[in-house]
Amino acid sequence: MNLALKDIAFSPARFALTVAGVAFLITAAVGMIGLYRGIVADALMIVDSVGADLWVVQGERNGPFSEASSIPANLDRRVEGVPGVASVRRFIQISQQFDHRGRSMRASIVGIDRPGDDGAWISLLAGRRLAAGHYEAIVDESVGLSVGDTVRLARDDYTIVGVSRGMVDMSGDGMMFVTINDAMTIAARRTGEEARLARARAVAQGLPALAGESPQAGKVSAVLVRLRAGADPAAVAARIAAWGDVSVLSRQDQRDLLLNERLWRLRVQILAFTVVLLVVMTIVISLIIYTMTIEKLHQIAMLKLMGARSRMIVMMIAQQAALIGLTGYAAGLAVAALVFPYFPRRVAMEANDLGALLLAVAVIVSAASLVGIHRALQVRAQEVLA
Amino acid sequence: MTADPILRITNASKHFVSGDTVVRALDGVSIEVRPGELVGILGASGSGKSTMLLLAGLLEVPTAGTVDLLGTTVSYPDARLDRLRDLRRRHIGFVFQKANLIPFLTAAENVALALEIDDVPARAALNHAVALLEELGLGHRVDNRPARLSGGEQQRVAIARALANAPPLLLADEPTAALDSVRGRHVMELFHHISRSAGTAVVVVTHDPRSLDLFDRTYEFSDGKVIAEHRGNHTAPAMPLWEPRPHLTD
Repeated sequence: MNLALKDIAFSPARFALTVAGVAFLITAAVGMIGLYRGIVADALMIVDSVGADLWVVQGERNGPFSEASSIPANLDRRVEGVPGVASVRRFIQISQQFDHRGRSMRASIVGIDRPGDDGAWISLLAGRRLAAGHYEAIVDESVGLSVGDTVRLARDDYTIVGVSRGMVDMSGDGMMFVTINDAMTIAARRTGEEARLARARAVAQGLPALAGESPQAGKVSAVLVRLRAGADPAAVAARIAAWGDVSVLSRQDQRDLLLNERLWRLRVQILAFTVVLLVVMTIVISLIIYTMTIEKLHQIAMLKLMGARSRMIVMMIAQQAALIGLTGYAAGLAVAALVFPYFPRRVAMEANDLGALLLAVAVIVSAASLVGIHRALQVRAQEVLA
Repeated sequence: MTADPILRITNASKHFVSGDTVVRALDGVSIEVRPGELVGILGASGSGKSTMLLLAGLLEVPTAGTVDLLGTTVSYPDARLDRLRDLRRRHIGFVFQKANLIPFLTAAENVALALEIDDVPARAALNHAVALLEELGLGHRVDNRPARLSGGEQQRVAIARALANAPPLLLADEPTAALDSVRGRHVMELFHHISRSAGTAVVVVTHDPRSLDLFDRTYEFSDGKVIAEHRGNHTAPAMPLWEPRPHLTD
């Protein structure tokens, strides 16, 4: 006779409520860990996806993600001539807010340097890649636009020709991919009055009116370099850096800057919350299991009076605790899988993290069971008479 | 009666130390209970009845003296209680004022549990439990949990549980205290019948004078000592209530 199952069958609602409590703790823990993983994955997505070996950015800057970076748009020609360089692309990324059908939307505009970059690295969900030189865009599904929609950016209308999935920036804003020239135009946007005043200032200084152009005009954030097979990245980077007006960062440099500089505080904050949550989860699960045992002390005394071996009592407590832990874990994961896709930011549920969480739950349940079992084994049979 | 005693307590004392005070809960008590005997332990509260039951049930060891079960000395001042567990499981049944049934088990499962603890296979244990409950007039209640049983029915289930593995000794502590006179009498008649039909030695601690006529002998306790022993004139119960089932098969 399995006493643990009999007890659960006797009060299924109570068991369900207990499991629900544990499950929501598990869901919260999965959420916190997943949020952390999601932020890291989002931050690294563009660095890992775009496929650049080196990033050439403004001198003495750690751009374009950790610091602002602005370099001449024709710098790619210089970089292209460096031995060991296989190909170059210009890169620009700017946050943009715009209205669509009365709704305010945000997107991170990323320039695609066609035809050298056909955008094959973009994970396309629907539609097609950019085919025209201007006024086409691929947008991430998280922005909320569909293929065929038209949005106005700067002074031009862009038609959505493709929808991507999972392409977001480190803030969680969905990306919108346009050609590099369109992206530079959007970045250089200014009002007519602003342009007139700038030209007037230039003329007043005895300069041509064109000197009053936007400071962003003709600028990009970085030049992405792909190296030839066998080329020494450090040697190529050193050669370019020797020019003096630019800095060169490797892919690993960009990853380190993002994780250990740009997102450091946020990561530590989330990890701290995760630790707090795991501590709370430990306390709550332990209390549940211990209380469950305390409530049965009289019955345990009766079992001892009847001559029950310790194994029977240990099994009753351990099995019930294991059932609560495992069922709570499974239910927690199910709730997480159902709910988190609707959260505004990515919650990445990785197998390793889920395995570690299962291990943590097993340890918590085992420890709580041991405390309960220790208390149960201290019960004396004569306590039935109490 | 001339058969060897099932239970023999010889010159047993039980002292508890409370601060600087030594409480003599039991002081040099000797009693014997033979097969088929129904023995009453009488006395006021604090007279040592329940302490005697703890010693007889191998739930405490005496401070002095010995406890013999089935002719073997099993409990003495240095005896280890955990080693007495198997003897208790095989040879002693307990009934208390409260039925102390496991609330999440049915009546039949409560009885079967005692057998499973004694390593009887689950199905055989349940079959025997159902048969036992039917013989105690609870055939219609086998699938009910304790909360759905009356106090008398719960006590009969507790008795069935105590009898499940046919112990030679049955110890009952105030088993009728929570029952009305009719149900209390019925339970006492059941004990009487058990002693007669199964040869079980039954010891009942009670202060209820209404069923004294059923006891073969009574010991009267006061201040931890036996102050009197009486032989009773029992009257046979109206109907047989229980037959032992010595053999269990799956």
